[in-house]
Amino acid sequence: MTIKEYFSDKSGSLLLQLVSMAALAAFLIMSGTSAGVVAIIAIVWALGFVIFQTVAYQKLKVHLTELEIIMTGLDQKYLFVECIGKPNSHYERRLYELMRRSGKSMIETVSDAQAAGQEYREYIESWVHEIKAPLTAAELIAQGLDAEARRKLMRELEAVESHVERALFYARAESAEKDFLIRQAELSEIVAEAVEKHRSLLIGSGVQLRIDELDQMVYTDSKWAVFLLGQLLQNAVRYRSESPVITISAKSLGQQTQLVIVDNGIGIPTHELPRIFDRGFTGSNGRVRGGSTGMGLYICRRLAALLSLDLQVGSTEREGTTITMTFPSKVNLSKV
Amino acid sequence: MPKIMIVEDEPSIRDELTLLLENESYTALAIEDFDRVAEQVDAAKPDLILLDLGLPGRDGFALCADIRKTSSIPIIFVTSRDTAMDELRALSMGGDDYITKPYNIPLLLARIKTVLRRSGVPAESEVSVVGGLTLDLAKGTVSVNGKSAELTRNEIRILAHLMGRPGQIISRADLIEALWDNQIYIDDNTLSVNMTRLRAKLDSLGLPDYIKTRRGMGYQI
Repeated sequence: MTIKEYFSDKSGSLLLQLVSMAALAAFLIMSGTSAGVVAIIAIVWALGFVIFQTVAYQKLKVHLTELEIIMTGLDQKYLFVECIGKPNSHYERRLYELMRRSGKSMIETVSDAQAAGQEYREYIESWVHEIKAPLTAAELIAQGLDAEARRKLMRELEAVESHVERALFYARAESAEKDFLIRQAELSEIVAEAVEKHRSLLIGSGVQLRIDELDQMVYTDSKWAVFLLGQLLQNAVRYRSESPVITISAKSLGQQTQLVIVDNGIGIPTHELPRIFDRGFTGSNGRVRGGSTGMGLYICRRLAALLSLDLQVGSTEREGTTITMTFPSKVNLSKV
Repeated sequence: MPKIMIVEDEPSIRDELTLLLENESYTALAIEDFDRVAEQVDAAKPDLILLDLGLPGRDGFALCADIRKTSSIPIIFVTSRDTAMDELRALSMGGDDYITKPYNIPLLLARIKTVLRRSGVPAESEVSVVGGLTLDLAKGTVSVNGKSAELTRNEIRILAHLMGRPGQIISRADLIEALWDNQIYIDDNTLSVNMTRLRAKLDSLGLPDYIKTRRGMGYQI
């Protein structure tokens, strides 16, 4: 609070002081008091007023700073009123009580919403858990069919599975709970599993898949990483060109490891690149090819952030897209 | 023939899994009474157990602990729970591997093979002989009448798949899938290239028609 702001709040009392001072001076002069005495009285009065106001201003300023420090230190800002002391003046105490009531209602609303979110997430988890049994049975039954029907059915079942997984990971990505476990994992196994999970899609779309020697170890949650890579593979297939090629290779950068996924697909327009990780963003490609929900990459970004994994996308239209996943080094992870 | 015990309460999965494993020439043993699993394991002495986590009564973790008291038979957990904690718990309870449902079938079979190999159960034979031709998987060579040729990884897998099913017609799509099972991510064009090279090598050994093309259907040995 500046002095100017303070006096603008006190302008009424300032005005009253000036008017009374002028009235007193006029009265004293008319009743024969000498001008010198009047001047002394006026100066003493003014001095008293200024000292009183300065002390009051300082006190107010210190109090405000204290409150601001409490606010900055708070994790849940809406608990602010619960953390400050009760004020002294009757007027402030009334204000304080009003704020407390409002805060209380807010806290209740927030915790209700949190509980509802948690329950919903738990429901999704158990729903996904339930649906996996019939899906597994269906995939096993499909093995008994003739080759052509089996391949077609497997492709559909794989798609169902992929949608189910996306719902599960969406719930996980939005949850405040960190349901992952970072361990050392073989990069080659993560890649092999992601490819395996989408094999019908990849084979069915005639993709040429080139996988370099991947002998690096990374620190991550392999299930999450497999899902993430799977989303990227699905995108590479969805936005493929005539004779699609996907290349997966790895680079070691000191302590970090980069997994690079390059495709020769239709690419992403430069002006859309900054928005591809946004929730619900489908882009011109998504609209033309259809089937895009704008959720895949959004979930990827959320998961990557939780795993402290860096995702970079570069693309040239009609030439292809390069995605670089940088896995954190063990040293960096200790900070998470 | 390795014996695999299936501990799974969902009947449709249990039956189909039995069928699948039998087709892969394992002896599958599905149990339906989940009260005395450890006793049944003791009696049957399987080479490997596929253990579901969510069973009626005692769950898979408890069963694993029971089994581990008396035996060190390899156990693969199969479950639709897939939180990190479940996996960690499964492995720390003495499980050898952990697969989540819906399991990818080639992946499941590969894991079974790996776990069996680790526990010393003999894997597929390293040398096969069909129609006079000998394929040595370990050395990566084919030989006939004293002459031999070296094969690439892709060629070995193509030939091994065909030689494993003599007389059967194998479609190109089947071949591609079989190669993908071995992490060889081949597409149709690459398969053609590999097939031509493989045939040229067989030709140089004096077996020009070893792999027959059945027009519109596939290949056959």
